[in-house]
Amino acid sequence: MGYGDVEMIDANGIRKDGRKAGDVRPISIELGVVPVADGSCRMRWGTNDVIAAIYGPMEAHPRKIQRQDRAVLDVRYNMAPFSTSDRIRPGFNRRSREISKVTAEALESVVMLELYPRSKIRVEIEIICAEAGTRCVGLTAASVALAHAGIPMTDLVVSVASGKINDVVVCDLNKAEDNYGEADLPMGVLPNTGELVFLQMDGDLSPEEFQEAWDYNMNAAMVIHEYCVEALKTGRYPQ
Amino acid sequence: MSIPLVPQLLRSHLRELADNDQRLDSRAQFEGRDVEIEVGILANAEGSARVRMGDTIVLAGVKFQTMTPYPDRPNEGGLMCMAEVRPVSGRQHEAGPPSAESIELSRVVDRGIRESGCIDTSDLCIIPGEKAWQVILDLFAVSDDGNLFDAFALAGITALRNAIIPQEKFELGEDRPLVVSKTPIMCSYQRVGGRFIFDANGREELGGDERIHITLGDNNHVHSLQKGLKGAFTAAEFEELMEEARKKGDELRNMVHALEGVN
Amino acid sequence: MKGVLVARLDNMTEKKNAAGPQDKQRVTRLVAPGEDLGDLEGHELGHGVIAIDGRIRATKNGRMNVNGNIVSIEPRRTAYVPRPGDLVIGYVEGCTNNIWFVDIGAPFNAILPMSLGPSKADFGGTRSVIDIGEAILCRVQEVEETHSSVVTMKGMGLRKIRSGAVENIDPHLLGRLIGKQGKALRQLKEESECRVIVGDNGRLWIDGDFNGTLEVRNRLRSLTAEAKAVTLGGVA
Repeated sequence: MGYGDVEMIDANGIRKDGRKAGDVRPISIELGVVPVADGSCRMRWGTNDVIAAIYGPMEAHPRKIQRQDRAVLDVRYNMAPFSTSDRIRPGFNRRSREISKVTAEALESVVMLELYPRSKIRVEIEIICAEAGTRCVGLTAASVALAHAGIPMTDLVVSVASGKINDVVVCDLNKAEDNYGEADLPMGVLPNTGELVFLQMDGDLSPEEFQEAWDYNMNAAMVIHEYCVEALKTGRYPQ
Repeated sequence: MSIPLVPQLLRSHLRELADNDQRLDSRAQFEGRDVEIEVGILANAEGSARVRMGDTIVLAGVKFQTMTPYPDRPNEGGLMCMAEVRPVSGRQHEAGPPSAESIELSRVVDRGIRESGCIDTSDLCIIPGEKAWQVILDLFAVSDDGNLFDAFALAGITALRNAIIPQEKFELGEDRPLVVSKTPIMCSYQRVGGRFIFDANGREELGGDERIHITLGDNNHVHSLQKGLKGAFTAAEFEELMEEARKKGDELRNMVHALEGVN
Repeated sequence: MKGVLVARLDNMTEKKNAAGPQDKQRVTRLVAPGEDLGDLEGHELGHGVIAIDGRIRATKNGRMNVNGNIVSIEPRRTAYVPRPGDLVIGYVEGCTNNIWFVDIGAPFNAILPMSLGPSKADFGGTRSVIDIGEAILCRVQEVEETHSSVVTMKGMGLRKIRSGAVENIDPHLLGRLIGKQGKALRQLKEESECRVIVGDNGRLWIDGDFNGTLEVRNRLRSLTAEAKAVTLGGVA
């Protein structure tokens, strides 16, 4: 991989930002950050800062997108121009399109769409500040915002990624680690059943490393789920 | 932007309120909503601000790029101002290419800042004729409950006044603050129920008529004006608005100055 | 004060309370979607819960109530979904020769056919009876499975709204506005000396003296602000 000379994790298994291999970055969640929306959530995760807002259910138009038997989720993942180190030009973007699609499909697995035929529910995910793992933050924030909007759903979706640096598998890569990362495995987990609704991977992992990354994600998802539930019950996490 | 229905009852009620010198949220005619400004909130922007006025919330972020100076101005850099009203900020805002409304918004805010001369473009020159800084101010609406104009202008100038030119990142020496010598402030007025009011909220905008945007710089110099939407106003009305804008402008300018050095 | 319609709404509230389980076991707790609420056996499912593999699971964010053997969730936020019999305030958004399309704050516009309109009009004369942008007080007559609904203006007190103001509050705050046995609402009406008609879709028609209207609006605003503060404070 050619990055072996950059020391990202020390002999005691402590990462540059002080975390152990299985730890996630600090997370805070706040509800109602878009007062005009039907539901909203701001999730700060490391230096990621993401806003998710929900509008609807409303009549789906144009009519050709209507489904007679269920609602459609209109998910838009977007990175604000100032969210990254190099400015992003607004407009069409293949990466955003793909993430929007897989996010929509992950959420469709939990939202009880059949209750709202011919409707659409708008899910707006705006990355205000990006570090690494924005798709995971976006998906998790969107599921919390949907719950906040009172949209019926069978579970939340909690998403987190693990990866590999210096041949060591670690959970929730930050920006510096992501730059030197040798693999990335983002997953979207249903915390109450342990099922997966979102899965991507790129890089190079041995079967053992893959299992380790998988287990880190599963454990981290359970921890993050508790934060989300706390936020839904009290309006924010931490208090 | 889908065009929302204007309930006739709202218009007649706004008229009744105006006749009794009242507003929907009990404000006085020229009273703004409480303003909250936060600076330095975006880790990846070289300058940033968040402005909240009631349920209207906007962000501004400043980024720097290098550019080739225009041939007729070889010693000057540039300023670009872009406002985006994405669908996150309201039910009525739909996805798609920028609407005429958001382009107007962007250009009116841009003119106010540019024409005030608050940024000395010759200070942005790196190598004459070859390389200069381009300052890009991106304005982003989080929640639209009316009067995005003033919120954008306020967030924009605050972000610029707290911006750092990232010279180290481009290997051009040490980082230095962007020099912003003036503080242009926009005040917007809309005719609601027959009279002009300051800082219309979403429902007042919905049931209102023409609006006037006034940008005043230091020493009350006028830098940009814009009249929008259908309607006609008199010289006497405009005179009164200018007077109000001068008062309000000083108040907001002091607020921006008080934040300096916080970042 | 013609209070016929309002009285009906108040009665609805009363009925709801009358069925209350004062003498039965009552459990309350805050839940998030997906949360396991226990074994299905011996329980019936109410609003906001589903049964999966013999277990009860929450589908909404809110407060779980167990009334006798019925498990339900009182959602913290909810969109308005029309039900037959609902009294609603709508805005006419469009019309054809014999139908009005009415925005009632639901996902879909309701239909008001001319036969259910306020007065007889010639074919093609819909706009002369109710124009686009005008507000009406109407009742939901019928809701299809796909959530399209039909509203009617045939009924006592149903009419075009010509004066006063229409305000919105979140539908889930209606209970708090009306109060136990309609007490809070009655008090508000007495104090403000205004006619206040509460639509089930969270729209209120306030009609009366100008200062009274302002009073009612201030009450609505403080109610909304309170609800927000309470949510953030973690009480409910």
